[in-house]
Amino acid sequence: MKNLMWRLLRRNVSVGQMVGFAIANLVGLTIVVLAIQFYSDVRPIFDDRDSFIRKDYLVITRQVNGIGSLLGDVAQFEQEDIDDLAAQPWVNGVGVFTSSDYEVYAQVALAGSSSFGTELFFESVPDNYIDVEHSRWSFDPEKGEVPVIVSKDYLSLYNFGFAPSQGLPQISEAMVGMVPLQFTFSGEDCVEHMRGRIVGFSNRINSILVPQEFMEWSNARYCPDAEPRNPSRLIVEVNTPGDTRIEEYMSRNGYDVSGDKMNSSKATYFLTIIIGIVVFVGVIISALSFFVLTLSVYLLLQKNSRKMQTLMLLGYSPWRVSAPYIIMECAINAAVFVGAVVLMLVARNYYASMLESFGIADAGVALSVAIGATIIFVITVFNAASIYRKVRALWWQ
Amino acid sequence: MALFRKRRKMDSICVKNVLPEVFVSRTDIESEVWRREVTFSRGNVYLVSADSGTGKSSLCSFIYGVRRDYSGDILFDGENIRNMSLSRWCDIRSRAISYLPQDLCLFPELTAAENIFMKLRLTRYKTEAEVKRYFEILGIADKYDSLVGRMSIGQQQRVAIIRTLCQPCDFFLMDEPVSHLDARNNDIAARLIADEVKRSGAGLIFTSVGNNLNIEQQEVLKL
Repeated sequence: MKNLMWRLLRRNVSVGQMVGFAIANLVGLTIVVLAIQFYSDVRPIFDDRDSFIRKDYLVITRQVNGIGSLLGDVAQFEQEDIDDLAAQPWVNGVGVFTSSDYEVYAQVALAGSSSFGTELFFESVPDNYIDVEHSRWSFDPEKGEVPVIVSKDYLSLYNFGFAPSQGLPQISEAMVGMVPLQFTFSGEDCVEHMRGRIVGFSNRINSILVPQEFMEWSNARYCPDAEPRNPSRLIVEVNTPGDTRIEEYMSRNGYDVSGDKMNSSKATYFLTIIIGIVVFVGVIISALSFFVLTLSVYLLLQKNSRKMQTLMLLGYSPWRVSAPYIIMECAINAAVFVGAVVLMLVARNYYASMLESFGIADAGVALSVAIGATIIFVITVFNAASIYRKVRALWWQ
Repeated sequence: MALFRKRRKMDSICVKNVLPEVFVSRTDIESEVWRREVTFSRGNVYLVSADSGTGKSSLCSFIYGVRRDYSGDILFDGENIRNMSLSRWCDIRSRAISYLPQDLCLFPELTAAENIFMKLRLTRYKTEAEVKRYFEILGIADKYDSLVGRMSIGQQQRVAIIRTLCQPCDFFLMDEPVSHLDARNNDIAARLIADEVKRSGAGLIFTSVGNNLNIEQQEVLKL
């Protein structure tokens, strides 16, 4: 006696149509969930974000022309070059590199070993291009300590080239802050020593950066009479790193973008577009399957309308009459959701080893599962609402 | 508020200037119900007698909130039924008005007992033993577990009568309740209905085209 209502209303339920809907929705939802999962898994490969320079900054230089440089033509940017660059629609801002006009000699004194040293140069960019908190990236002449950001390549050179050959210990990035660094500045008529502190490594800028305020202070102190020079490098903030116009502009003007950061930006850009298309296709399939279900439920309601009218005649509310169909639809959708998540996890297993070889941290599945759950929830709510509305419409004969 | 509504008895059904929309163009209507004001009171028995095609099933459908294609007003205790919500109607249909439609509205794919329990799941008004006793009284005890679709129309009508008795109500509304019953079964059904009407203090409105329910009436209205 318990399931009388379901026994009455399950008549005319087309198993074929329900299975058809479930498969279509399963395919659509799996595509969406898997695409989003793949995107969040693979994204870090292309992400060459380093912690000091934000990713939408490009560092550009002029190509060095062999003959030109012999004839004294230095690869520098004139003011009109900078103005022209700043006027491009894809540019948000241009910063110039300032170079030191004096000699710098750096020494590292490691305990228990002889110190070694090298001649260096400093450069600086405006502080707003550097993503380090101000307290660590400032210079106070009273304290006499200079924070620097060094190219990661230098650390690799030291760790894998210099240190083993000299019997020196390899150092990690975390240890770098503890390395005692001594700078010697030789100006026009003075020599001064100062402590240095490496605050980090950058794989975006192939240089040794110091705070802009130190650069201004030191140039004025050690080389007060130096002629101002045009910058040889620029840092450019762009709004769309994958924009093809950027590359066009660079090659037309004979500029080099340092490293292959442009390419990885482009790869990310295309990855985003492709995943976007795949997600769109998945959503379309899900939407179509939703319409299949809606139509098949309408057909079902049409066939069973007399019975439902009689139930309402007996005093059953439209909610209670539509409940068996809504429960059926919720069960199908829940199964579809579980199926899609399982398929996504299985598929993810296949490319997991590839991710491991890239040494990428596990991105987790929370985002894709949450998006899948949202889609299935929205579909379920719309289905349930349309069923209820149809049943309610049967009330008045 | 909802609880208060459920407990409150419905004392009157007033049919005021009502006319089915299909009759609007007709000028030859002579009726004691259409375009009149008729009040049915709880505790009384009313026969609405009519020839076929004069709209008695329409009248029942209007009162029971199945159709709205009429002009005029129908009032339950002074409240116009046009403005009632569906949840209110569900409450009325399971507690205030018990309706026996002319086409019986049974589910042929369920057994006789299952048809009764479809109603009892809502009302929980009778026990299984009481239902079985009704089946015995009406002479269809052997059909208790038979599919309704395989029963004769007379047997089906008796099942429908039992279902109508399986709910608390202030008014019974019966559209040709004994049209397919012989005189003996008519008497039995009439006694059963009269007992229930008396016991619950409800009103009874029934229609007939000739084969009247054999029950004492306070008022006869010609439709």
